[in-house]
Amino acid sequence: MNRQKLVFCYLMVTPALLLTAVLGIYPMVFSLWMGFVEYDLLRIQDFGTPFVGLDNYIHVFSDPKFVQTVVNTVLFTGIAAGGVVVIGLLVSQVLNAEFRGRTALRMLFCVPWFVPPAVASAIWMWLLNTERSPINFLLQDMGLTTGNIKFLTDPTTWGPFSIPMLAISAVRIWNGLPFAIIFLLAALQSIPKSLYEAAEMDGATLLQRFWFVTLPMLRPVLVILITLLVIGGLGSFEINYIMTGGGPQNLTNIMAVYSYQQGFSFFRFDLASAASGVILILTGFVCVFYIREQVKRAQ
Amino acid sequence: MFDFTSGKPAKGRSLQRLKLALMSSALLGLAASSAATAQNISFWTQPQGELLGYQDLFGEFASEFKAESGVDVSVEVINWGVAFNTWLTVAQGGAAPDCADMYWLHSYSGIGGDKYGPMPINEYRDQWPNLEDEFYPGSLQDVQWAGDFYGIPWRVDIRPQMYNTEMFAEAGLSAAPDTWAEIVEMAKALTVRDDNGNVTRWGFSAGPNNPAQTLLPYYWQAGGAILSEDGTQANIDNEAMRTALKFLQDLVWEHEVMSPESFEKGVDPLDGFASGTVAMVGSTPIAWASQMEREYPELDGKWAMAINAMGPVNRDSYSGAGYWGVLRGTENVDACVDWIKFLSREENMQRLSEFSGAASPRRAVMSSASWSDSQWKVAAAETLDYGHTSQHATSVWGALASPEPGAVIYDLVYSTVIVREDIDAAVEQAQARLQEELDRANRPQ
Repeated sequence: MNRQKLVFCYLMVTPALLLTAVLGIYPMVFSLWMGFVEYDLLRIQDFGTPFVGLDNYIHVFSDPKFVQTVVNTVLFTGIAAGGVVVIGLLVSQVLNAEFRGRTALRMLFCVPWFVPPAVASAIWMWLLNTERSPINFLLQDMGLTTGNIKFLTDPTTWGPFSIPMLAISAVRIWNGLPFAIIFLLAALQSIPKSLYEAAEMDGATLLQRFWFVTLPMLRPVLVILITLLVIGGLGSFEINYIMTGGGPQNLTNIMAVYSYQQGFSFFRFDLASAASGVILILTGFVCVFYIREQVKRAQ
Repeated sequence: MFDFTSGKPAKGRSLQRLKLALMSSALLGLAASSAATAQNISFWTQPQGELLGYQDLFGEFASEFKAESGVDVSVEVINWGVAFNTWLTVAQGGAAPDCADMYWLHSYSGIGGDKYGPMPINEYRDQWPNLEDEFYPGSLQDVQWAGDFYGIPWRVDIRPQMYNTEMFAEAGLSAAPDTWAEIVEMAKALTVRDDNGNVTRWGFSAGPNNPAQTLLPYYWQAGGAILSEDGTQANIDNEAMRTALKFLQDLVWEHEVMSPESFEKGVDPLDGFASGTVAMVGSTPIAWASQMEREYPELDGKWAMAINAMGPVNRDSYSGAGYWGVLRGTENVDACVDWIKFLSREENMQRLSEFSGAASPRRAVMSSASWSDSQWKVAAAETLDYGHTSQHATSVWGALASPEPGAVIYDLVYSTVIVREDIDAAVEQAQARLQEELDRANRPQ
């Protein structure tokens, strides 16, 4: 590339880089710094921000509620990402087939994407309200249940699982599904038909064609999709905060909500930053894994 | 006339030039001095009642004030959804107006220290010579912090009882409960279950789904006080706290008249009351009454309000005041105080209260005809006499009373009333945590 072209390229990316630096990297570095100092809004005017080393991290990890939020976050991310990928694979297969009304169905499946998470949360809060849930009415009408299911408030647990956690994860799956479907649909359409024809000639069943042709061909897209879903899940906030605020009994609390509560409810921005630092570390692991995979593939 | 340049008497043309020059200078001087005295102040407020009408009303106030004083007030209405974060930013040195309609004085003063946030205006205190006589005492507690005076309260969130008169009549009841024992009896009569045992109507809701706000009036009614008067000592490990918690716990589990979901995020007692799944609310934010009138006209005449039921010691009611105050960093303190003085005139507070439906901390407004034209307004005014400030003398109060899990009071109420943990152990633990939090804001580095 000649020098003039290089200068032009740099000029073109400079605004984006500057914006990223000012609005993305600087706040992130500042937030990381806050995790290593005392940044207590109630003390800052009198005592400043003394360096405290790893104290904030030790503090959050010695809080059983935070440890529970780490487990919840991993669980929530796993259920949501797993659900989105599995259901997304099934639905995209259907939507990839040729049938009448396919376009309408594709649009229908994209609807949740147009609903902002805050609005989706409000809608689902109503749908899952214990006393007025239409789902409860339906289940009782069908004779499947007698009492109301407390979708968002039942504190009964089975190990780390609970009804509220599953309900919140279901909402997340509903909200994230269109993203996965569009990703997978595009990938499915790029698989050469000749591969399926060859498999068919070799006598492969429908399941075998999916397992030996579709899945391997989708692997690069699936890796990207799962990585993005995991990163999104680890930093997820709105649905849990709006629908349950982390309750009942911390069962649906996740790290981003914990971080928000520490900062904006208890004025402890140092602890909030430490909790966010843990999210960053976890997300970093996922990114490193993803980049290593990509490099391996490239080699 | 004398010619200053030549030292001789001025001739006609020179004289005219001199006159013109003098006149021009005088005019320019006048214009400059009027520009120097023209003053602008910025004022932020949160809407009460209908947004556009509220903006218009403050527009009218600003015009009238300008006509009187020549001071331009630029009014900005802050949405309640962002109000908390806005004031948190202001208290940390973010962009701030000259003066504002504020709340949570103690917390924001504690955060801002002597650099940012609300500014004490002790030297202007005598501009309101009859404050104690004209305002309810509970509201005045909310504009004082650490011995300093910060402004004038203008709205009170007083919380009487609210009940559905139709459901009461069906159950053979004629008036709101007057004691805790009557709450239990009436709530039992009002609770309805379907054939499967599902509750279709709860007899009682203690208050909003914020555990701290719900607990406080019952604790006060049992004779308790959360903190020592100077705000440095936790004061919850006592019989009053145990009595209040046991009362609430029994309502949920022993008498089964209050929903165990009461403190969950998606649960809205107002929504429940309006839709008929809750028959009465023990501590009702007064804003709910105007909301009921505005949003549920079909329920007109089917609900009423009453002073709070008598607890073991008193019938204190939750009360919190919003106030007009000045912000640190402003150079327009005098103009701001004039603006607040203008707003706090009886007739202006009357207009504001009438429009917004917010209860006024000013006695004259609450005894006016507009606050006597409906049953709930009379009950609200009556309840103000039992108002107990919800603010406490510590900067950490906002964190202590937060409606989020992890806050000391939230955890205490949730663990005892909902999870049914041992009350003694929970209270003891909460006392230690509360003291730790109080020390947090005061301990040396």
